[in-house]
Amino acid sequence: MTRTNQAIHITVDRKAFPAVADRPEQLVLRGVQLAVEEGSFVVLTGPSGCGKSTLLNIIAGLDSDFQGHVAFSHADPKLAFMFQTPRLLPWRTVEQNIRLVLGDDDAQATAKVAAILDRVGLSEAATAFPERLSLGMQRRAALARAFVVEPDILLMDEPFVSLDDPSADSLRALLIELWNRRPTTVLFVTHDRIEAVMLATRLVRLGGTPASIVQDSDVSLSPTDRLDREKVLACRLRLFENA
Amino acid sequence: MALDNQTIRTGRVGRGVIGSVLSGRLVWTIVSFLSLLVLWALVAALLQSRLFPGPVEVGSKFLSEAASGELGYHVGVTLARVAVAFLVAMLIGSAIGIALGRAKGADQFFDTWLIFFLNLPALVTIILCYVWFGLTETAAVLAVTINKIPNVAVTVREGARSLSRDLTEMAHIYRFGTWKTLRHVTLPQLAPFMAAAARGGLALVWKIVLVVELLGRPDGVGRQLYDGFQLFDVSMILAYAIAFILVVQLIEILVLQPIEARVNRWRR
Ligand SMILES: Nc1ncnc2c1ncn2[C@@H]1O[C@H](COP(=O)(O)OP(=O)(O)OP(=O)(O)O)[C@@H](O)[C@H]1O
Ligand SMILES: [Mg+2]
Repeated sequence: MTRTNQAIHITVDRKAFPAVADRPEQLVLRGVQLAVEEGSFVVLTGPSGCGKSTLLNIIAGLDSDFQGHVAFSHADPKLAFMFQTPRLLPWRTVEQNIRLVLGDDDAQATAKVAAILDRVGLSEAATAFPERLSLGMQRRAALARAFVVEPDILLMDEPFVSLDDPSADSLRALLIELWNRRPTTVLFVTHDRIEAVMLATRLVRLGGTPASIVQDSDVSLSPTDRLDREKVLACRLRLFENA
Repeated sequence: MALDNQTIRTGRVGRGVIGSVLSGRLVWTIVSFLSLLVLWALVAALLQSRLFPGPVEVGSKFLSEAASGELGYHVGVTLARVAVAFLVAMLIGSAIGIALGRAKGADQFFDTWLIFFLNLPALVTIILCYVWFGLTETAAVLAVTINKIPNVAVTVREGARSLSRDLTEMAHIYRFGTWKTLRHVTLPQLAPFMAAAARGGLALVWKIVLVVELLGRPDGVGRQLYDGFQLFDVSMILAYAIAFILVVQLIEILVLQPIEARVNRWRR
């Protein structure tokens, strides 16, 4: 498969965690090659513990202890990362948490913060401290923080896990809306196959130990089909038939 | 199902005004303080000794010293020394603590040094500072500062070791840079440890400052206590001791507690 306009070129020849105490060295990833098209929404799945978070951390530059390289088409790409937990600063208000990721010299910062808070429905909670909010609201704040920087690349590691269905649904809808408004290259890790089909334009599955890519498929559902439960379920069956 | 055997939780709001006033801290503080005063007066009346003056004598001494301006002057001088030594020690101690908590190699190397200074008796530091730098103001404040730095460093080091990696990564992704990370990510996590260091440290500094003044300064509360000792003027000793306790408590209530409340306001 040849792809044009690649935003990220990822090559991880080998990633291992060194031995500690009585635990031997752990080889996690081997021979992972992935070229991510500009503006695509890539969903990464795979069994628990196979190395999805590890791969995302490598791409984010949080882990540089690996063999291989990650190349970006932008000279200095702006990244945003939505982690499995919201990772908001508990001692700063929701508003301040979002303001902080914008530069000090950003003249429109206040307006941007207000606009994104409005979009995610947190205007009322702007001056609240994160730990006083529900997990769903904290996730909204984390989503707002990720989008307010207008990232070139958005990395998401199971961002909606352990939410009740309605909350997760509304956050997914919000993500789709924000993504449509401002297309960004997204790498999204999830275990939830329905979520994967609803969001992905491309599905990449990791598997094996050490893990490598075992499936790489385009998801060609139209925006309206993605909201149709029947179509999503059918597509899921097709995509995961040999999983 | 009947409710008879089940535990019933009543909200605290419903307990009534009298209950909340009686459990109020202020009432207990006053009752406890007054009973201490009465006990003191009783013992003094029983002993009838010049070396154990009662509250009235000490009170009048306190007032006359305050009226002459002596009390205010000496307490002020001591306070200034405490403030300088405390601030410098907090600053340097925190910096050392953060550095050691972050850099493992440095921590291992300097651990022995820290243990040495932690266990060095305060009196030794004071004497050496006076011997080496003369009976000067600088030597006095320096001695107090040196005594305090290791305590601050050890406490803050504990905090720096337990900094959240999650938040550090978040700050890295969103390009906070050094200053922003320090101010919004690192220092708030260290705040409880610095508060603990400040509290323990202030108590320590107060006591050491008195010894420093007694040994080599012409003024300050420590000096007045020494004069009182030489004249066997117990009223004077107690008057200054009480003034001292009052000031410490005022600082605790007016400065430290509001700062702590503000720093902790985000907690659930
Ligand atoms: N810091 C670490 N030190 C040692 N081993 C680690 C470390 N981080 C992860 N691992 C190991 O690497 C493997 C991959 O971990 P990773 O967190 O990337 O999995 P994952 O695919 O994200 O799993 P999950 O779906 O459960 O989140 C796991 O076996 C884990 O035990
Ligand atoms: Mg993971």
